[in-house]
Amino acid sequence: MTSIGTGYDLSNSVFSPDGRNFQVEYAQKAVENGATTIGLRCKDGVILACEKLITSKLLVPGSNKRISTIDRHLGIATSGLIPDGKHFINRARDESISWRRNFKESIPVASLADRMGSYAQAYTLYSSVRPFGVTAIIAGADDDGPGLYMIEPSGLYWGYFGAATGKGRQAAKSEIEKLNLSELSLLQAVKEAARIIYVAHDDNKDKEFEIEMTWVTRDSGKATAAVTGSRGMIWNGWVHEDVPRELVEEAAREAKKAIEEDDDEEEGQKAEKMDEDL
Amino acid sequence: MNQHPHGWGRPRDDVYGAYDSSYLNSTQPVTHTQRPIVTGTSVLGVKFQDGVIIAADNIASYGSLARYDNVERLLQVGTHTVVGAGGDMSDMQYLHLLLDNLLIKEQYPADDHHLHAPQVHSYISRVLYQRRNKFDPLWNSILTAGADPNTSEPFLSYVDLRGTTFSAPALATGFGAHLAVPILRRHVPDEAAVKDLTREDAEKLVDECMKVLWYRDARSGVTYSWSVITKEGVETGSKKIENQSWKFAEMIKGYGAQNI
Amino acid sequence: MASSYLLPHAQHAPHAHPTASSQPRQHHWSPYTENGGVILGIAGKDYVIIAGDTRSSEGYNINTRTARKIFQLGSGIILGVVGMSADGEELARKVARKIDDYKRNHDKHITVSAAAVMLSRTLYQKRFFPYYCQPLLGGLDENGVGAIYTYDYVGSFEREQSRAFGSAAALITPFLDNQINLKNQFVPGSNGEEPRTPGDMPRDLVEKIVKDAFSSAVERQIEVGDGLQMVTVTRAPPRAEEEEATVEDDDEWTGSTISETLSPLKQD
Repeated sequence: MTSIGTGYDLSNSVFSPDGRNFQVEYAQKAVENGATTIGLRCKDGVILACEKLITSKLLVPGSNKRISTIDRHLGIATSGLIPDGKHFINRARDESISWRRNFKESIPVASLADRMGSYAQAYTLYSSVRPFGVTAIIAGADDDGPGLYMIEPSGLYWGYFGAATGKGRQAAKSEIEKLNLSELSLLQAVKEAARIIYVAHDDNKDKEFEIEMTWVTRDSGKATAAVTGSRGMIWNGWVHEDVPRELVEEAAREAKKAIEEDDDEEEGQKAEKMDEDL
Repeated sequence: MNQHPHGWGRPRDDVYGAYDSSYLNSTQPVTHTQRPIVTGTSVLGVKFQDGVIIAADNIASYGSLARYDNVERLLQVGTHTVVGAGGDMSDMQYLHLLLDNLLIKEQYPADDHHLHAPQVHSYISRVLYQRRNKFDPLWNSILTAGADPNTSEPFLSYVDLRGTTFSAPALATGFGAHLAVPILRRHVPDEAAVKDLTREDAEKLVDECMKVLWYRDARSGVTYSWSVITKEGVETGSKKIENQSWKFAEMIKGYGAQNI
Repeated sequence: MASSYLLPHAQHAPHAHPTASSQPRQHHWSPYTENGGVILGIAGKDYVIIAGDTRSSEGYNINTRTARKIFQLGSGIILGVVGMSADGEELARKVARKIDDYKRNHDKHITVSAAAVMLSRTLYQKRFFPYYCQPLLGGLDENGVGAIYTYDYVGSFEREQSRAFGSAAALITPFLDNQINLKNQFVPGSNGEEPRTPGDMPRDLVEKIVKDAFSSAVERQIEVGDGLQMVTVTRAPPRAEEEEATVEDDDEWTGSTISETLSPLKQD
C-alpha cells in the first residue's frame, strides 16, 4: 500500500500509474475482515457454510441470516459489509426472476454468476459509486449438475470445487485442498464444512459463534416436491434450503471433538519433546 | 432559414410543408386486448367431507377449432392448493408465472411459512380486479381449491375477469356453471351436506359432470385432469371419459343431415 | 375518458360503436356486472338495522346462496352494498381501512356522520369510473340515535330513516312507506280523516317488518332469495366502573353492540 496518499486511491474509475484500482483493493480489505464463509461443491450437491460470530447476547439465535435463497435451486452466501450483501442478493433475485420470465426455465448457475459478476464489475467503473464490499459465493445446480462460483469486489468470478472467503479463508482453503471434492457426498460434506469452520475459527479471540449452513440438493427430505413447486411450476428439481438442524449440530459436535483431540495430541507431543529436551 | 429555436433540427416547412401533428391529439382512449383468443372451457370444483376435488379438461380452443388437446389447466400452488383456469390460455400462463414468482418470494425468508388456498385466492382476485380497473383484463374464470393442512377444512372460491368473487360448496366456470352446477347442487346444496359427501361419491359426481359437459359443451375434451386436495396434500391424475353413449343424439332433430 | 361510455346503461349507446372505416374494430367489453340482491336499512331511536339477502347472481345464474352484502367496518359502523359485488367489497374494504386509520391517527372512534362524509368522498374520487354499487351506511350517532346514510353511485348522500336499495327496491320501498312511515294509514275510528304519525317503533316489530319485506320480495324478484343477513347496531349496556378503568378495553369500546343473524329465505 505504498501508493496511499498519492491521490490515485480517491476515486473509482481512476487507475494508478502502475495500473491498479485502489478502491477495489480497499473493498477487498473489507472482505478480509468478514465472516469466514465457505462453499463446497460435491458430487450430489453444494454446501454453503458460514461462521456467524455472536456480536450480542441480545440477538435471537439463528437470526440475521448470511446465506439467502435466490431461487428454488440457488443460494448465495456473502461475506463483508452486510448491507452491500443484501443489495447484491436483491439484485440476484431480480436476475433470477427476470430469467424465468424471459425463458420459462430456472436460471443456470453459470448465467447467474456471469450476470452478477458483470453487475459487481460495473461498480468499479464509475466515480459516482464504490465497489461492493462483499465476496459472494453462489451455490446452485442445473442441467450440468451442481455449480459453485465466487464473485469478488472487482467483479472477478471463477467456478470452484471449493471456495473460501472472509477472515479464516487461508486456514479454510488449506483444509478444503485436502478434500476429494469430486467424490465427496453431501452428507460427508456437512461434517467437513463444520470442521473447517471450527478449524478456521480464530480461537484466540474466543468469541462465541453459530454455524449457518445450507445446501443445494436433489433429494430434499423436508421440502416436498409440492413445497418447492411441482406440476406447472418452473423448477429444475434442485432445492436450496437449510441443512437440517440436527445434522448441523451433530457435525458441530464431532468437529469440536476432533479439534480438541488434535489439541491434546499437540499438547502431548510438546510434553514429550520437553521430556526429551530434559 | 428559420432561426427561431422552435425550428432547430426540424424539417423546413418551406421544403417539406408544415408538420402534421394531428396524430398526437388522438381522441381515442387507450385500448387493450379485449377478447380471448385461445380458450379453455369449464373448471369444476366440489367440496367433500375431508377435502375438495377440482377438474378441468385438456382442450384449448381457437374459436371453434380444438387447437390444442394436451393443455394442463390445473396448477398446483404450494402444498395444499390447486388453481384451475378457464378462458384465455395466454392470460392463464401469465398468471401461472405470477403465482410461481409469488411462491419463490414466499420462500426467501425460509421461515416455514407457506401460502394456502385462501391467500392464493385473495392474491389472484386482487390481480384480476386491478387489471379490470385498468381496462386491461386477464380474460379468465378461475377456481381456487384447497384444504387446510391442520384442520382439513376445504376451501373453494371463484374469481373472474371483473374481480367478482364468491364461494360455494360446488362451483363451476363457463359452461359448467349452466350444466354442472345444477347436478352438483343436488348432492351438496349447502355446507352441511359437504360433511356427508365422501371422497368416493364426490369423485363419481365430478366424473358424471365431466361426462355431461363432454356431451353438451362443443368446446370440451374427452380427457381431463383432476386434483384431490386433503390435509395430506394434493393428489393429481388424468382421466378419459368412459362408457359413452350417444343414444340421445338420435332423438335430436333439426340439425345435421337428417331425412325426416 | 367519457363517463357515459363506461356506465352499464350506456353500453348500447350508438356512439360507443366505432365505425368500420375510421377506427379499429373493438370487441366491446364492460368492466361492470350486476350481481343482484336487495338491501334494506332502518334507523330507530336507539338502534339501526341493515338487512340483505344472501343470493349472488349474474344473469340467470345463481353464483352462490351464501354471499354477504353487509360488512362491519369497525368503530360500530356497518355498511350494506348492492350492485356489482366486486366493487361493493372493494368499497367496504377501503372504507374499513380508512375507519381503522382514523382510529389510529386520532385515537378515537370515528362518528357515523364523519364516516358518512368519508364514504361520500371515497365514491366521488371515482367520479369518472364509479363504483357500481349502492351503499347504505349505518351506526349510532353522537346521541346514540340510529342513523342510516344513503348514497348514489358517485357520492351524493343524505341521512334517512329507512331505505331499500337493489333489484327489489321498487317492491320494498312502498311497503316501507306504509309500514314504517305509516303512509296512507289513519287512526282507527277517525273515518280516514286523521293520519297516523310515524314514531318510535320497537326493534322486534321492525325486525318482523324486515323479514316480511324480504319474504315478499323473494316471491316477485328472481334475483332475491336464499338467505337473510340481518345486522343490528344497538347501544352497548353501560359498563361497570371497574370495567371502565381498564385501558385496553376503553380503546375498543365504541358504545355500540353489533349483532348479526342469518335466517333462510326461499331458494327458488
